[in-house]
Amino acid sequence: MHAPAQRVNALLSRRTFVAGSVVSAAGSRWGMGVATAAQKQASDGELGSPEIVDTNVHLFRWPFRRLKYDRTDQLVQKLRRHRITQAWAGSFDAVLHKQLDLVNASLTEECKKHGDGMLLPIGSVNPAWPDWQEDLRRCHEQYQMKGIRLYPGYHGYKLDHSAVAELIAAATKRGMIVQIAIRMEDERVHQASLLAPAVNSAPLLELLPRVPDARVQLLNADTALRGGHVQSMIDSTGVVVDIAGLEAQGALGRLIDGTHSGYAIKLPVERLLFGSHAPFFPCESSILKLFESPLNREELQLVMHANARRLIERRG
Amino acid sequence: MVEDRSRKSFELNAADYGVPTRDELVALRIWDMHYHGLWEGSLRQHDETLFYVERMGIERVFSLDIAGTTEDPLGLHLAIDQKREIRELLERQQDRVSGLIPIDPGLPVESCAKMNEWIRNGPCVGIKYYGGNPSGVLCSHSNNFPIIELAAELGALIYIHTWMIVGGEPRRPGGGNQKGESTPMDVAMLATRFPDVPLICGHSGGDWELGVRAVRDLPNVYIEFSGSDPHSGQIDYTVDQVGVDRLVWGGHGPTRSYSTELSKVLDADLNHDQRKQIFGGNLRRMAQRIFRDKGWSVEL
Repeated sequence: MHAPAQRVNALLSRRTFVAGSVVSAAGSRWGMGVATAAQKQASDGELGSPEIVDTNVHLFRWPFRRLKYDRTDQLVQKLRRHRITQAWAGSFDAVLHKQLDLVNASLTEECKKHGDGMLLPIGSVNPAWPDWQEDLRRCHEQYQMKGIRLYPGYHGYKLDHSAVAELIAAATKRGMIVQIAIRMEDERVHQASLLAPAVNSAPLLELLPRVPDARVQLLNADTALRGGHVQSMIDSTGVVVDIAGLEAQGALGRLIDGTHSGYAIKLPVERLLFGSHAPFFPCESSILKLFESPLNREELQLVMHANARRLIERRG
Repeated sequence: MVEDRSRKSFELNAADYGVPTRDELVALRIWDMHYHGLWEGSLRQHDETLFYVERMGIERVFSLDIAGTTEDPLGLHLAIDQKREIRELLERQQDRVSGLIPIDPGLPVESCAKMNEWIRNGPCVGIKYYGGNPSGVLCSHSNNFPIIELAAELGALIYIHTWMIVGGEPRRPGGGNQKGESTPMDVAMLATRFPDVPLICGHSGGDWELGVRAVRDLPNVYIEFSGSDPHSGQIDYTVDQVGVDRLVWGGHGPTRSYSTELSKVLDADLNHDQRKQIFGGNLRRMAQRIFRDKGWSVEL
């Protein structure tokens, strides 16, 4: 167990040795290890303030209330104010709509219209519904999407559904990432007629080793990091998480150090990707997490953009 | 003192990312009304938590767990040594840490005795209603009247945990609450009975869209809003409904991130003075009397 003050001392010592370097030997057999020369050069060139890649953004309207930044032009401005230069955007419409292809088409158009290329559309597919293979094909071939986002809690299936493995394998074959929204909103304050439980991540422990090249990210992962299976899942798969839903004081540093009392796991910094869950959450929440933990520059750059870039640019 | 420099400095310039620098956080004079660093009396956890209190520039914390736990709110099973240890800590860290004692609305006589011991004749400044209690008595129950009357006499802060957990049959907000877990509607009933006594409605009822409305027209009810996910627009809505004077900020550490709780206010369309009011000004005004009675100065 490292007390926070011990972490500070440890970081100061490490900084002496890694000053100026950006990407350490992330060293994982899941291919998250070595940055490309271009990435390294870009990051090395960031003398002052590294930019941020936000892996967890939604466009359009949350079905249950108007959000402050649910207009795309305003959201883009908001993201830019926080030095977010790329945002992986899903569509709130995907949460409850059945015509997911229309949702994906609209999302693609919206991302083209706003942000001068900073918005990367992430499509939605429901593997429990008919013809999901065609939705996946269109996401990839027609809309040129780099990934898909799943909402099992809202779409009525669990991760041990046989089609989930098929979908992850098919997406991986196409070189796409798969994001799984563990939850969108605290179940305690759901609209009373809604039953959308947080997603149990335990089936991934068995599923992901069968698709070794899969690139899977858990969004709003808080509850998904609390089970007894989690350390095994981290150790035996390449699953990554975004930071939007991570809780507790100094959560990022404590997860990396393995001293987080709530999650009780050790998560390599290479598995943490910046995500804001905007516009549902304020961007400020995840931004401040970068400062609340005494992370060094090397760790910050990994979380802020390097891990995300390596995830999305790697091919299966 | 390398460690202190690091503890108080950020690796990157926060202003470049649209959030306050540490100096700007300090300038906001943040008082944390919801501190669990002393949960179950753990001094070790308190020490660890203070690292983040200092790092994020928090000026003062109010511990809600002095000499009591959710299972034993009155601390009836607490050893004398443990009580002494906590009391000494509060006296030693008086410039930084204030204490509220859990009470048990199911045991009003014993609760008042604890208040005399820890507030009238001790270092504490208020009382806390936990989210549930062994006998399942809500804060709106008449058992509470002598507790509130004594708190008013002492000028003690009154913090009431409230939530509206969706559940029950039929499913509804509050239908999933625990036994004795009050809702904002319970606080509203209590506030109507004691219109001159300030009450803090904790967590904004969890479901803030409904919780705020339940206490909107009761000027003696203040809204604290920690312990839930950060929802963009929450504080704009709350200020619009009740004004900026009735909000009190809490950090809910160590289980919640300060980032989560700070962001709720930073997200809102407020000026510096309004933020300062929510982050501590309103609470300083509420605590002024009891601080003065104890001989402590409060700079508003």
